[in-house]
Amino acid sequence: MSRSLFEKVWDAHVVEQLPGSNALLFVDRVVAHEITTPQGALEIETKYGDELFDKSRIVAMNDHVSPAKDTETAIQAKVLRKWAKRHEITLYDIGDNGICHVIAPERGHVEPGMTVVCGDSHTCTLGAFGAFALGIGTTVQTGAMLAGCVVLERPKVMRVRVRGRLGHGATAKDLALFVISTLTFKGATGFVIEYQGDTIDALSMDERMTLCNMAVEAGGTTAMIAPDETTFSYLRGRENQLKGDAFEANVAIWRGLRADPDATYDRELEIDASALRPMVSWGTNPGESVPLDKNVPANADAKSLTYMGLEPGVPMMSLEVDQAFIGSCTNSRLSDLRAAADVLRGRKVSIPTIITPGSQAVKRAAEREGLHDVFQDAGALWTHSSCGPCLGMSMGVVAPESRCISSSNRNFPGRMGAGGRVHLASPVVVAASAVLGRIASPEELVTLSPSTSLGINSVEGATASSKSVVK
Amino acid sequence: MKFEGNVLPLDRANVDTDQIIPAYLLTGISSAGLGGHLFKGLPGGPELLAAHPDAAIVVARENFGCGSSREHAAWALGGRGFRAVIAPSFARIFQENAYNNGVAPIVVDAGEIDALLAAPSLRIDLGAETLTLPDGRTIAFSLDPLRKRFLLEGGYLDFLANKRDAVRTWLASRTTT
Repeated sequence: MSRSLFEKVWDAHVVEQLPGSNALLFVDRVVAHEITTPQGALEIETKYGDELFDKSRIVAMNDHVSPAKDTETAIQAKVLRKWAKRHEITLYDIGDNGICHVIAPERGHVEPGMTVVCGDSHTCTLGAFGAFALGIGTTVQTGAMLAGCVVLERPKVMRVRVRGRLGHGATAKDLALFVISTLTFKGATGFVIEYQGDTIDALSMDERMTLCNMAVEAGGTTAMIAPDETTFSYLRGRENQLKGDAFEANVAIWRGLRADPDATYDRELEIDASALRPMVSWGTNPGESVPLDKNVPANADAKSLTYMGLEPGVPMMSLEVDQAFIGSCTNSRLSDLRAAADVLRGRKVSIPTIITPGSQAVKRAAEREGLHDVFQDAGALWTHSSCGPCLGMSMGVVAPESRCISSSNRNFPGRMGAGGRVHLASPVVVAASAVLGRIASPEELVTLSPSTSLGINSVEGATASSKSVVK
Repeated sequence: MKFEGNVLPLDRANVDTDQIIPAYLLTGISSAGLGGHLFKGLPGGPELLAAHPDAAIVVARENFGCGSSREHAAWALGGRGFRAVIAPSFARIFQENAYNNGVAPIVVDAGEIDALLAAPSLRIDLGAETLTLPDGRTIAFSLDPLRKRFLLEGGYLDFLANKRDAVRTWLASRTTT
């Protein structure tokens, strides 16, 4: 029986079939952060004798508001810290921490074929490694810590095959926004997305993580990419990975973790990446995105328009912005920061601009390359690692009716602050917008300053075709 | 389990969990006491709740509960006395969280939502999986057969705790992929 990548990983973790299409699924790794873990940790302590199924499978970090911003968040961090210490669970804390979806792979806690859960919807990021990684609520995470498994309804599988070289100027973020705008905000609900195709093969691990990170914004249970040499190179020699022959023995197994050539899918989508252009969101969900050089759509949702203070037909690149943010689990890795620095080098930002690395290790690596000087010379704020303003909790909350161009993942009403208006884009588009004070393409800066080449060419519009297949 | 409840008519699609409870209110370590924060991120949300102070059933449009995994959304709904959300579709994580917290995620055909939004109250029979409008018309829905038990009786964690021996047995005989 031919199987998709998802089916291979799923089948290898089913402990027991349950009523309906549910299964008891074994969990290899639980990632635990301070916002959604303390409630469950306390429940296990009070009701289940403080007994964890296998503490070695849990890794924890204070990441959402770290350092704490007030007494309440300080207590959250303290509870997580005490719990991790009591159980000898690896904890990444102030000084050596990072956003869970950045630091978990960076420290080698995620590998192909694993099942990974975390009380955080962007856990789908880790599907970039060929893991089945999904966001869950606190109760389900607590169950995984207590009993090593989750109850999960078996998702369907959607193949999204992407072919051709990404158009110059287009990034993995633009591909993610294009996929979501094609599928719509809920179009992948009930599905795992399996990304395939030569475009995907050519992406770095950072780019694959950016792409998989936003699967949940189309409603997807998660996304997965088959591991390959890029994946193995990322993991080889990394801390918490086996070394030498033992690692290579794992690689030999991991090579089998890809869809069989004649595997069938419940739905398929084909994308021509060579025609992809930089994207930007106009509305209040990530599916409400258009190419950067387009206008607010004529058929735009009225509630979204009202919230965003927009009218149909307004050119996206005419919109003035009040703040810029580069960071979040979507786009805060070293390659994102390098790309942003290439735009900002020798230039000045004209609006408040916050740049937040995805982990303290990313921060240090960026500083070894002098990127912190590029950002600060440009007048941007270079911060420590945190989820920061992405979810409107700290470090740059957006004021009502202020417009923020952001490399993050969500433009929901109030997401980055009550009444704040968020436009999602890639780090280079955010950086260019920070310079010009309006939504802008890096291409415009090349025109303004011919001495700097950003390698941007104009390309035609991207296309996608889809078909539904009944299994 | 049968109950009758007043409707909170939420004529919106894509009500995400940031709207149900914004992240700045996620700073506690308990699932209790969040009812007062319900819909604080929804434009017009607090006013809508004030106009329907004793509502127990949310009726909304598609993709309710999308976005963040925060179980605080289900905790806030339950904490405010809501026992059901009726919508044409739900985001996966919210749906799981609702089942685990006594808030029934009831899926009905999108064509029924206008009538349900207009109904001041509804009768819901979770056991029989039916809901009845004030004019007596009944709409059938279906709940997940396993999660229905968690919805009605609680006990997701007890269910898993009782599986621990089976999981250890499975693990001992586990083969690699």
